[in-house]
Amino acid sequence: MNGVSERTASGRHGTANRSDVTAGLCFAFLAVICALALGPSMAPYDAMGANLTIGLGPPTESHWLGTDALGRDILSRVIVGARAALLGPLIVTLVSMVFGNALGLIAGCRGGWVDSVVMRWVDLMLALPGLLVAVVVIGALGGGYWVAVAVLGVLLVPFDARVIRGAALEQIPRPYVEAARTLGVPWWRLTLFHVWPNVSAVTVANSFLAFAMALVSLSGLSFLGFGADAGQPDWGLMIAENRTNLFENPASVVAPGCLLILTATCVNLLGDWVYQRLSERGLSR
Amino acid sequence: MNEVESVDEPALEIRRLRIEAAGRGTATTIVSSLDLSLAAGETVGIVGESGSGKSMTARAVVGLLPPSVFVSRGEIRYGGRSLLELTERQWRRIRGSELGFVMQDPFTMLNPVRKCGRVIEESLPDAGRGTSRRQRRAESIERLAEVGITDEAVADRYPFQLSGGMRQRVAIAAAIASEPQVLIADEPSTALDVTTQRDILLLLKKLQAARGMGLVLITHDLRVAFAMCDRVYVLYAGHLVEAAAAAELESTPMHPYTHGLLISEPPVDRRVAELTGIPGAVPVPDDVAGRCAFEPRCAWSTPTCRNGTPPLTEVAPRHLSACTRVREIHGEMAHPRSRMRLAEPLPPARPPSGGPLVRGRDVRKVFDGRRDQAPALAGVSFEIGYGESVGLVGESGSGKTTLARSLVGLERITSGELVVDGVAVSAGSRLDARDRRRLSHTVQMVFQDPYSSLNPMRTIGSALKEVVRLHDPSATDPSARVAELLESVGLPAELAQRKPVILSGGQRQRVAIARALAVRPKLLVFDEPLSALDMSAQAQVLNLLTRLHRDRGIGYLFITHDLAMVRQIVDRVYVLYRGDIVESGPVDEVLARPADQYTKKLIESIPRPTGTWLT
Repeated sequence: MNGVSERTASGRHGTANRSDVTAGLCFAFLAVICALALGPSMAPYDAMGANLTIGLGPPTESHWLGTDALGRDILSRVIVGARAALLGPLIVTLVSMVFGNALGLIAGCRGGWVDSVVMRWVDLMLALPGLLVAVVVIGALGGGYWVAVAVLGVLLVPFDARVIRGAALEQIPRPYVEAARTLGVPWWRLTLFHVWPNVSAVTVANSFLAFAMALVSLSGLSFLGFGADAGQPDWGLMIAENRTNLFENPASVVAPGCLLILTATCVNLLGDWVYQRLSERGLSR
Repeated sequence: MNEVESVDEPALEIRRLRIEAAGRGTATTIVSSLDLSLAAGETVGIVGESGSGKSMTARAVVGLLPPSVFVSRGEIRYGGRSLLELTERQWRRIRGSELGFVMQDPFTMLNPVRKCGRVIEESLPDAGRGTSRRQRRAESIERLAEVGITDEAVADRYPFQLSGGMRQRVAIAAAIASEPQVLIADEPSTALDVTTQRDILLLLKKLQAARGMGLVLITHDLRVAFAMCDRVYVLYAGHLVEAAAAAELESTPMHPYTHGLLISEPPVDRRVAELTGIPGAVPVPDDVAGRCAFEPRCAWSTPTCRNGTPPLTEVAPRHLSACTRVREIHGEMAHPRSRMRLAEPLPPARPPSGGPLVRGRDVRKVFDGRRDQAPALAGVSFEIGYGESVGLVGESGSGKTTLARSLVGLERITSGELVVDGVAVSAGSRLDARDRRRLSHTVQMVFQDPYSSLNPMRTIGSALKEVVRLHDPSATDPSARVAELLESVGLPAELAQRKPVILSGGQRQRVAIARALAVRPKLLVFDEPLSALDMSAQAQVLNLLTRLHRDRGIGYLFITHDLAMVRQIVDRVYVLYRGDIVESGPVDEVLARPADQYTKKLIESIPRPTGTWLT
């Protein structure tokens, strides 16, 4: 125990405060985005309301981020777009977490042919070019934001399953698992109550990664026209729609772009921090 | 020894050393104050349990403290220089060439991707300067021969191809390649088998004498310290509590802690009714700051012991003790070992009723992928009766753990017959659910490492309750049963709410025992249950096991490499060597009159402070 606590302390020396501050900033930023996503009333104008009399324009006092070609307020659209930016990835993450964890744990803890079947499926899925599959499926099904969300959810399951299986395999040979086996604990209890809590740090960290990945992928699909319906306030779609107006109103592209990058980065950093804290707790126990 | 000590300037001197670890906003004490001196050619031992700060002291001396651990006060002087002021660049000239360092774990100490010969070549004093590849290689082979490796091919092997003892030899050869004046050895033999331990200690002693090198030996084993060292420093919870010449410390300890350690040790030559260990567990240094660190566990403590840290005073010539009451109590502490109570003569072994509980016939186990190698178990036959306590002794790789794991169904034997209470665990196919259940009702296992055998994320209560519910679904009040179980292993029932992290090693092992007892098994398998514990905890757990065996009549299969331990607890013993049982019989008989060559060697290897152990 001695050795472990020493190592933990040493690994964090000097960086402890900095990583805490970073995590705090990321958290604050994400909190603001969440607040925007939950309250469309915060938008100063109707995000969908075209105003052709104004038309395309740079930032002004009344339109802080300017307007797009249809005279829609960029600020309002960015704010309302936060909802699409968070909701879709959240669902993707939940789907991949639930199914990925279940498959990964079953494969890791049961082993044998169950493991083989699950892992060959995972191999197959990972061999597919994800974005291409998404484009084909969405094209066939007629597209739309929710179809994109569903496809991404399915595509991320094998990633999660593989990581969780690895983490579970690491736990299986540990004496506490063997002790539970000799005590006659049924395998499903062993999986759910013994192994899973000990891989939960990985589960959480992986979910943060999945969220960031889903956010970027969804925006990418929207940019390509396979995601959000035309006209909807969506960051990816906004970049696509306004990229021709880059010089007339740079804010119309830069604002959604920056928000996208910042959100994804913050989610990743926060995920790192949470993982570090969780695994530290696990180690010192 | 005295003439060595009379040298004016000691080779290594530590004064008022204080080591702290930086945490989140706070600093925790690791070593509160330590004074130590080492004369040229002298061997000094630092003895302490885990958490005493002995390893960090060693690391401080060679300037290899982990990043968050630092020396906050004091001085370390070597050859007239203060080591603490050195820059990393200056350190590199001293480390290795003047101060050698041997670590505990020969498995991680050598770079796994470098050949052993290269490891030594790198450490040679003229490494890379003007010597040819061939010369350096010849030199490294010579160095290997010096540590007893005469096979030249070893220089071309990778560390993982060598046994633990060989690796430690290579590590020692590398550490002394540059002819250091002082060698710091941090538990150099702890991770090794008893027989190998003796060889390595002998080697260190020989090298030290041949080179006139100073040796600082860090160990938790008093027997090793007494056999190796001129003087011994006893460290407890970051405090130096006693320092004296080895022989004197053994015969007349002047501090209750040293006394406690001496009587916690099971005697090799006889069985005692109960070991009088030290109650409680080692505290964190900061919890006992400003008073005698040992006071909470001391049998002689008085309120005055809580008034300030007792100073280290010279209680006899060249004998320092940090006990303020030593003048009143030293008479009671003298010759502790000889006063241990003898056990009542063993009752005759109960004749097993209705055949043996466990019967193994020609049990073989070959691990997959290693079919070309020697089998882990090469056809062993054995029996364990109901309520009988049986020992299984052997070195690592002898197959003793494989045998235990086969018994509880964690490993499947390749051929032979293994029947546990009517359940054939040797059957060709998997055990069906019913047999598996019956097996888990009959046999339970306590693992070696108490730190990983409890699920870190679950409370102790929920872990125990799960087992109670599984094996007795009709139990009306599982919580009461959990409390009862905890009490039976000497733990307070309140611990049920807590997670394993707050427990010491000894307490964790008690929880593991309680968990095994929860199914009311007929046989408990112990796989080296004490080897990961501190000395004082070992005595406590050993006493607990003796009591449980006596009161409940549970059979034991006790696996260990420690013959002193096995004598205290088992009736009959099997000696396992390379997958074969080479000797068996009543424990007293086997230890007193070993018939087999290997058993003899094992008995000779038991650390003994005096006599012929290291000659």
